[in-house]
Amino acid sequence: MSSHREAPEISKDPVADSTDLYAFVSPDKPDTVTIIANYIPLQLPSGGPNFYEFGDDVLYQIHIDNNGDGQADISYQFRFTTTVRDPDTFLYNTGPITSLGDTTWNRVQTYDVAMVSGGSYSGLGTGLPCPPCNIGPLSTPDYAGLAADAVSSVGGITVFAGQRAEAFYVDLGAIFDLGDLRPLANAHAFGSLSAGPGVNATNNLNVNSIAIQVPISAVTISGHPVIGVWTTASRQKARVFDGDQGDYVNAGPWVQVSRLGNPLVNEVLIPMGSKDLWNTLPPDQDKRFLSYVTQPGLAALLNVLYPGAFPHLAAAVSAATARADLEAILLTGIPKGVINKTYTTYTGPVIADMLRLNTSIAPASTPKILGLLADDVAGFPNGRRPGDDVVTIELQAVAGATLPLVDKSFTPDAVVGSVTDFKPDPPAIGNPPTGSFPYLGTPYSGYDQPS
Amino acid sequence: MPSHDEERGSCGSTGRRLSRRSLLQGAATAGAAGLAVTAMGAAGPALAAANRSSAPDRPVSHGAAATHAGPIVVHVRDARTGDIEVFSGTGQTRLRDTDLAARIARAIG
Repeated sequence: MSSHREAPEISKDPVADSTDLYAFVSPDKPDTVTIIANYIPLQLPSGGPNFYEFGDDVLYQIHIDNNGDGQADISYQFRFTTTVRDPDTFLYNTGPITSLGDTTWNRVQTYDVAMVSGGSYSGLGTGLPCPPCNIGPLSTPDYAGLAADAVSSVGGITVFAGQRAEAFYVDLGAIFDLGDLRPLANAHAFGSLSAGPGVNATNNLNVNSIAIQVPISAVTISGHPVIGVWTTASRQKARVFDGDQGDYVNAGPWVQVSRLGNPLVNEVLIPMGSKDLWNTLPPDQDKRFLSYVTQPGLAALLNVLYPGAFPHLAAAVSAATARADLEAILLTGIPKGVINKTYTTYTGPVIADMLRLNTSIAPASTPKILGLLADDVAGFPNGRRPGDDVVTIELQAVAGATLPLVDKSFTPDAVVGSVTDFKPDPPAIGNPPTGSFPYLGTPYSGYDQPS
Repeated sequence: MPSHDEERGSCGSTGRRLSRRSLLQGAATAGAAGLAVTAMGAAGPALAAANRSSAPDRPVSHGAAATHAGPIVVHVRDARTGDIEVFSGTGQTRLRDTDLAARIARAIG
């Protein structure tokens, strides 16, 4: 998946596990940028009685680099506090939750948001409300209203933190079954499966989102419309389980345990032995992982898994062709002149996995889920919108679709346009992304899902 | 970037990296050691008295601005060389004290 359970250690710590990161010029407020960082993967909506919540002992951050050095110039920090109103009941709520202040909501979470920039720390808001999880029609009869009330405006930004519907889609079960793509399953080297349309592994699941909407003018500097975005989660260095209290004691400096910029980088490109290390490092250290991007193992696998389907790609792999196209897309941004005379996501020569967004490119009136591959310059890899089919985009890029951008002599294999996990269409999302903040759909209720 | 660099600095200043697994193992060992430090007069209550860190929101650099209102966790990395890490609030201090390490080890029994 994009970054769900993508590394061995963080897969054991879902509260701190970043799953997806989105950054886009807000379609309904094009003078702002919206950034959404999702955590806590694969939430089964009915997962009570202790429903999903952010970690009180985790420091969540959204970072923005606005000068291309791969280091954060602005960081938004989020710390959560959970309050149990009545410890003598096992219930998450003791009656319908009709407002965020309703005393029937027993386990309440609030958060503080702060900004670190230029060496100074600014508290932007304290005690901001999260909505409850979407329990069901008896407990949360007007969930959309609760979520709307949990949108706060503080310090010049709009912010939301709470449960939302998963917008990311992927055929996880097939892809990690030896790289099977169901639409091409009949051509797979191992077995005799029939081709199929694809199964969405995240169907009707929820995530926890931290979303901010900030003025473009507040996150860019003059002459540099491209920003680099990533999210991190950190825990304190020492953690001891206090058996007398049944809780953890935390002490010491914050250490990063999760990082996410571009989708699928740590999940698919970084090898198993380096994934945990990758999660602890900032983007400006990514040069050490460069070869995993320019010589991706997946590219070498494709012609093995689908014998004879990728002869041109196989030749490029055999020739040890450095994939400058992938380096540009994921690690430096695409320089001006590669796509056309104006398009660029380039931030400079520093190798850094950041989700790059050119804030001077207006939102598309009719977004195309294949983004740049479909000539939609407002979509991935120019930022990422909730509907962008990043799995197909990156699979096709690795398969050679973007190599001609830097090597005009290379002709992509004929099959490349069919490299996808869903065919003929991506799956329908039950509660799809919306057109306004926080953009991800209303979370599925535990009463309704699984159905 | 201040926040991130400070995080890195606090992690990397030891010159050695701790995996999260070894950290948990070490911290669990240090729980008893922490009690020993308290018994020797260091500020702060015993670990059992606290159920949540009092860490401030902002990341703090190595050894700076440690508040001793919360627990103090001691990680004896190597009792033979006296290599000790002490965690409090969002601060961290690295000591090299063979006598202290020996006393902690004796306290554990």
